[in-house]
Amino acid sequence: MRFWGNRRAPPSMTLEGVLGPNDRLDEARGMKVDSPDALSAAADGRLLFSSGRSLFALRKWGEPPQSFAEFERPVTALCASPGGLVAVGMLGGGLAVCDASGRPMRGWKTSPGLTAAADAVFLAEDELAVVDHGYKPDEPLLSLAPWDGVSRGKLIAVRRDGESRVIANGFHCPMGVSLDPRGELLVTEFERARIVDGSGKARQTGYPGYLGRLRKTATGYVMACLARRDPLIEFLKTERSFIEAMKANIAPRYWIAPRINPEFSPDFPIELGATRLFGEIKPWAPSFSYGLVIELSEALAPIGSAHSRANGRRHAISDALVWNGALLAVSKASGELLNLGCARDAP
Amino acid sequence: MSAQFDFSTLPKLRVPLLVMSPRRVLADILSRGWVENAVPFLAFVCVIVGVLATTKGYFTLDNLRNLALYASDGGLVVLALFIVVAAGGIDLSVGSNFAMSAFAALYCFHILNLPVAAVLLASLATGAIIGLVNGALAGLAGCGALLTTLGAMITVRGIFTLASQGQLVAISTSSRTDEMWDWIGSDRFLTVPISFWVLVIAVAGVLVMFRQSRFGWHVLAAGGNRKAARHGGIHVKATIFFAYVLAGLIVGLAAFLYAARENAVASDTGVGMEFFALTALVVGLGGFVPGRGSTVAVMIGFATIYILNNALLNSGLRSDFVQLAMGAILIFILSIDTKFRKHKHRLLASAYVDPIDFKLGEAAGSRGFMPSEVAPKLAGAEILASGMIDGPEDVILDADDHLYCGTRNGSLVRIAAPDYTQVEIFAQIGGRPLGLASDREGNILVCVAGMGLVRVSKEREVELLTDQTQRSLLTIQDDTTIRMADDLDVAPDGVIYFSDATRRYDIENWGLDLLEGRPNGRLLSYDPKTRRTRTVCDNLVFPNGVCLTHDGQHLIVASTWTCSLLIFDLAALSAGPRVFVHGLPGYPDNVNRASDGGYWIALAGMRNPVTDLAMRHPGLRRRMTRAVAPTHWLFGNLNIGGVLKIDGAGQIVETYWDEPSGPLYMITSMREHKGALYLGGVTNNKIGRLRLAGADPRWTGRRSYWGRG
Repeated sequence: MRFWGNRRAPPSMTLEGVLGPNDRLDEARGMKVDSPDALSAAADGRLLFSSGRSLFALRKWGEPPQSFAEFERPVTALCASPGGLVAVGMLGGGLAVCDASGRPMRGWKTSPGLTAAADAVFLAEDELAVVDHGYKPDEPLLSLAPWDGVSRGKLIAVRRDGESRVIANGFHCPMGVSLDPRGELLVTEFERARIVDGSGKARQTGYPGYLGRLRKTATGYVMACLARRDPLIEFLKTERSFIEAMKANIAPRYWIAPRINPEFSPDFPIELGATRLFGEIKPWAPSFSYGLVIELSEALAPIGSAHSRANGRRHAISDALVWNGALLAVSKASGELLNLGCARDAP
Repeated sequence: MSAQFDFSTLPKLRVPLLVMSPRRVLADILSRGWVENAVPFLAFVCVIVGVLATTKGYFTLDNLRNLALYASDGGLVVLALFIVVAAGGIDLSVGSNFAMSAFAALYCFHILNLPVAAVLLASLATGAIIGLVNGALAGLAGCGALLTTLGAMITVRGIFTLASQGQLVAISTSSRTDEMWDWIGSDRFLTVPISFWVLVIAVAGVLVMFRQSRFGWHVLAAGGNRKAARHGGIHVKATIFFAYVLAGLIVGLAAFLYAARENAVASDTGVGMEFFALTALVVGLGGFVPGRGSTVAVMIGFATIYILNNALLNSGLRSDFVQLAMGAILIFILSIDTKFRKHKHRLLASAYVDPIDFKLGEAAGSRGFMPSEVAPKLAGAEILASGMIDGPEDVILDADDHLYCGTRNGSLVRIAAPDYTQVEIFAQIGGRPLGLASDREGNILVCVAGMGLVRVSKEREVELLTDQTQRSLLTIQDDTTIRMADDLDVAPDGVIYFSDATRRYDIENWGLDLLEGRPNGRLLSYDPKTRRTRTVCDNLVFPNGVCLTHDGQHLIVASTWTCSLLIFDLAALSAGPRVFVHGLPGYPDNVNRASDGGYWIALAGMRNPVTDLAMRHPGLRRRMTRAVAPTHWLFGNLNIGGVLKIDGAGQIVETYWDEPSGPLYMITSMREHKGALYLGGVTNNKIGRLRLAGADPRWTGRRSYWGRG
């Protein structure tokens, strides 16, 4: 109890109920992919996934992937249209649109003035919405975003005729964009752990993870989380002078922040409960990296989840979707494409 | 022989003489037992101040004497009720008892013309008989205390009215005088009325009874938890019975004093007295609390009510208004007291951790030796007794190469040479065994957190050598008990030097000591010849490993949170420590001798830029301990550790690390023995053994210390 002061308590971040812990991600079948990031289901039923600068297509789980296309820079965003178009965002903010066979399409603007392309979605066959989180390639987003008060993210629309317009500004580190059944845009904000609409108005808040991409499924959505929301990070957001000092004196790689890899390093602090016992990390230990996929209802309420806990290695889920009735996810930490098996809405 | 240090050129460490802060004073006060009485006492002070401010000349000698003259009536009755309540009962008949006993005294004195001593006896007997009836019914027969004493209240009042009706006139018109009677009733001794002296003696008696006597303890036990008291072998019923009798006796005494003073009773004598007494009791105890024997608090409660009531009446207020005001004030006091009691532990918890700005010097001398810069040599270590031990903080070997370590469940285990696969409990100690050392005779000395210093003989006998030291100067908290004995070493003269890492936290909460960053630890010594424990140096920052230098003249003490090693000159311990090594890359735990004249340092964890920065922000750490669950507290990295080797002059010459996710991650201790290094970790379940290339294969710690073994 506090007798004085009205410091706001950090949000509750417990994982219970449908968000309760499990080992679904660690138990899932995996396919090694070199630096994977984004997923998309193409109109012809193939699965597209990015691997560094390349795009691969998968006809069936277990078959070898075929090369789909190659780009100049690493792929950071990927989406496909019902009409067979495939759009790719690249490190540094470049865009490319291909047809169903992977050949570049003419007309689309390839550099619409983005700092980064985090995710994209086709609004129509001739219009694309792209979210830009605003961090340059040399800026470590995961380290910076929690301590950044500036909302540098924006949502833009790019048309086939070469035009582009800003739909809205002022998003805080948007990482994913999707369309709801009425055709309205939904944007996930990484550090704010919430989903907002195209105008920036909150649709659902208080998720227990630092959000990645959001994908529509037959019954709702599936949302990838890059890390679990951490009470220490949330608390430190209220400690301004410490954060100022940390920013001023310490290189970003040492900062307290969500991480991709569950690694032991003498350079990083730990949270007290993360101390190893008998050499093992307890699965329930706090960790700066975590694997979490949340299944959402149409109303964006969580209805299921898949975890890779503190002692797991399939952390930092950047993308997840339902393909051929199976729930797939990308773990950046283990460099794998994961198949979690039968999805909730599968027949 | 490797390089040597020159003690006189090492920088001196300024050890604070006193560690004090407002928050710590508050926390220390809150953790004392007497703070329970803080609110009643403050209420009393407020009443006194209030009366002083509003009434002129209230606290004159005359008025004080007057107050003292009448204090015994209420005071003794409160005391009587207190005893009954402490035993878990209640006595509503005190008022009636008072009137009846007073009448008995007056009747014996004025009508029967008995001597004063007999009058006193009669008065006491009357009170005691009523107490006896109450006790028999409420205590022995098990009728409810409330019902029994309510019945007694009405019955005794009826008897009193019947008996006194015919005698009141005779008593009031009696002309008998007696010197003794008048002396008791109205004279003074040392300017204070006799009756007040009686009250003081009675209070002292009850105080001693509750603190020192078997009966007093039994009363409190029966009141606190009847069932537990019965299971503890206490005759609960008899105890309660005698509590009622004693209470009746005290009421009889109060009535005797009243009779001697007033020489009269009226039909309303003692009416409402039980409620006055109950009120005083509740104010003093902070509620209706059985099983609490705070006599002083009850008397403070009585004084508060007595003076408040008296002052309000004296100021000429109407009596109904006085009642109203009293009621309001009492509710106010009680509500504050209840709140305070309810939240005291929370206030204590939020005030206890009191971090300071803690500047840690830059890491020095470890460039080129860090895990990223050298191969992980511990990856080549063998793993011994894996999964068979729990938390070997320290390891030691005997003359026959058997390996010993303490475990989390309080035992000292022996892992038999030569294959180290058989683990047996050598001795069950209890507590949390930490540092180990071997004395000249081959006994194993163990520092046990939560216990103190323990000696385990070769015959497996466990003897507690010491668990207390001198109390530090100017402390509110009693810090004589050794809280977290951590590591030790034995000087050539047999004196054992050992560290008490922190006296503010237990082993489960040692992490809070880092977050606090204050010098809470101390270096102690125990001399087996005189069996005396002495504080060698107070106010050190988490003193951990203790190691005698090779020349036997200096003592190295690891100061874990400062990432440094201190050194003492055994010939001039009072001169304080100097800094032997500073700027270590991690948190040093135990320190031990190496065969080449250098020393091994175990690193329990690694410091890192963010933790070091957080140590500069005490407010952050304090708020974190309150707002964030302990599992999420920012902490130094305890998942990576290693071993440093320094030469005799304190320079790092070698480092040993495991792979980042390897099994030897948090090293709290290491011993060199016959060309191998044995490694223990307080959170590990295995011991590592690393063959040392080029080390003397005959060298053992015992031989280095005692020349044999």
